[in-house]
Amino acid sequence: MVNKALLSTLPDDPRYLDASYNVQGPLPEEDRNLLSNLKPEERELAKQFWEAVKSDFRFNEYLRGCLNCGVCTSGCPAAKFYDFGPREMIQYMMRNEVDKIWEFVNKKVWACVQCYTCSMRCPFNNEIAGLIMLLREYAVKFALPSAKEVLAPYRRVLLTVITMGNQVTPDMIQPDAFPDWGPQAVEESKNMDVYRKAIPVDLLQRTDIGWHSSLQTAVEIMTIFIESGVLDSIKKIDKDLYDMIMDIYEERKQTLEEIKEKWKKGELKEEDLPDSWLEL
Amino acid sequence: MAQEKVLVIGAGPAGLSAARELTNLGVDVILVERESYLGGTPKKLKYSLLFPELRPASEVLDPLIKSVEENSNVKIYKESIVEGAKSEGNGFIVSIKDKNGKVTTEKVGAIIAASGFEHFDSRRKYEYGYGIIPNIYQISDVERMLSENKLVTTKGTPPKRVAILLCVGSRDATVGNTYCSRVCCAVSIKQAMEIKQRIPDAVVHIYYMDIRTYGLMEDKLYWKSQLEYRVGYIRGRISEFMRGPDDTVVIKGEDTMNLNRALVVPYDMVILANGMELGLGSKQVAKALGLEFEEHGFVKPLDPDRFPVLSTRKGVFLAGAITGPKTISDSITEGTAAAIKAYEYVTKGVWEEPVKVQVSSH
Ligand code: SF4
Ligand code: SF4
Ligand code: SF4
Repeated sequence: MVNKALLSTLPDDPRYLDASYNVQGPLPEEDRNLLSNLKPEERELAKQFWEAVKSDFRFNEYLRGCLNCGVCTSGCPAAKFYDFGPREMIQYMMRNEVDKIWEFVNKKVWACVQCYTCSMRCPFNNEIAGLIMLLREYAVKFALPSAKEVLAPYRRVLLTVITMGNQVTPDMIQPDAFPDWGPQAVEESKNMDVYRKAIPVDLLQRTDIGWHSSLQTAVEIMTIFIESGVLDSIKKIDKDLYDMIMDIYEERKQTLEEIKEKWKKGELKEEDLPDSWLEL
Repeated sequence: MAQEKVLVIGAGPAGLSAARELTNLGVDVILVERESYLGGTPKKLKYSLLFPELRPASEVLDPLIKSVEENSNVKIYKESIVEGAKSEGNGFIVSIKDKNGKVTTEKVGAIIAASGFEHFDSRRKYEYGYGIIPNIYQISDVERMLSENKLVTTKGTPPKRVAILLCVGSRDATVGNTYCSRVCCAVSIKQAMEIKQRIPDAVVHIYYMDIRTYGLMEDKLYWKSQLEYRVGYIRGRISEFMRGPDDTVVIKGEDTMNLNRALVVPYDMVILANGMELGLGSKQVAKALGLEFEEHGFVKPLDPDRFPVLSTRKGVFLAGAITGPKTISDSITEGTAAAIKAYEYVTKGVWEEPVKVQVSSH
């Protein structure tokens, strides 16, 4: 049986415990403390951040142990392109290295594409991709500058996901937005309109949306995002986007209610009902 | 006193050793073996040299087989299985079924289950492509290739670049086997040396997480393979194999000595060090005898420390890899131990039960 009480603590950072510091002569506590790898103004935040991640209920479920086998990193598509690897994150976590975690979360953590190959193959059954998501979630919750920076180009993606349920719309597939997509993106972006028109479905003949959702669905999607706390996270990191989405939400909700009201009163005929909010 | 009889199930190193020991003690043996020959898995898969002494497997097994086969006090049922064992007094009435379905019953005083293990089937690690990508073999396949002197790639030529991946099907929660199979490090290094003996200019790399050539094998295998054969050791577990041009196999791994250093390397031949599992044969034996399993799926001894060769059923003894991964010499030793225990049981009725001892400071 897993002992939950034991699980809640990770071993102290071994570098901090290294006695050779003493052998080489006394160093002030301040210098020995590896937090000194962090900028003074960030130390408290880095500690708070790491403590928050560790106390999340998922943390000890997801992090089990590590054989240092490298299976996660060698199968990782992101590791192929960036100086990033899931094993390094697991190792920092297992050793409780707060400065390394801080560095990782402020740069590398965003390289992962959440393909879950690592989680599926890890012989220790770590939920590695989940741990990455945990770090990212807290990066957003803490409104870390790196999260702001990384999410900035995704404002439109966020907007379309939340308001329309579409993620990437066809016209977003531009070579400068997705350099890692290679020559394919260049080719696709050239004749986007033509390709799109070739799809014999009426609604898909445009490139600024992926598919339509009805007014009712759109309001439901947005309600889910609001209720599950996604909008609260966005509020901290991108106030403008938050305001914009909330405005759209209020407006749509009102329209929907008006329509429902009219329908109830018998003021609307069936053919007058909109099948898409875009047509309103 | 009526002539005592003991049933031994399985004619591998453990079963053969138990049978030989019992007859030395003057007890008659009924030996039941699933295959048509004696010798167990080492014979079935035609093991080449044995670690750590690098001596031919037949040098160890053949005398054992001969001593049992030629012994008139051993009654051998080949191509047969034990279907059930009813208790009668302190002994058993066992039913033995041959391949035609004919059932024979025998009355015995005790049973030794020594039906052994099966090699992990690497097809269960689908990302390794075993059985799909040419030139990927398992250590259990390579033994035969070595003993028949046919270690060649699909091109018919000896491999010039060989990678051996350790811990396939062991130490891996994704296939449910979280134990170490104990012998595959030693077997792999032995095979690496055998390959270098035959193809001196071949490059042989072993991909490992830990090298477990425990005890006296450390220098005989791990050190020697580097000192005398220049076998290369790369620390990292391979995550997948791809088919390369010209029937080569491309491995994808991380050199874990260098952070985030990916390895994509082509080889002529890849060998998977597949581990040990209980296998269907021993599962059937355990079921027929009403034995219990331990947490890794092997058969559970009465007390793993104090009574490793006693089972949880009175009068049934265990020997060899049925209780967990073992070397051939360990299995032979356990066969001897189980024989002594069975002898005590059938002649003097000795069956110790584990007693709970109060330990003060734990
Ligand atoms: S989920 Fe992320 S870290 Fe894991 S393999 Fe995929 S890209 Fe790499
Ligand atoms: S796959 Fe799992 S055990 Fe292997 S290095 Fe990655 S986290 Fe550690
Ligand atoms: S003996 Fe070696 S190869 Fe076999 S499971 Fe153990 S560590 Fe892995």
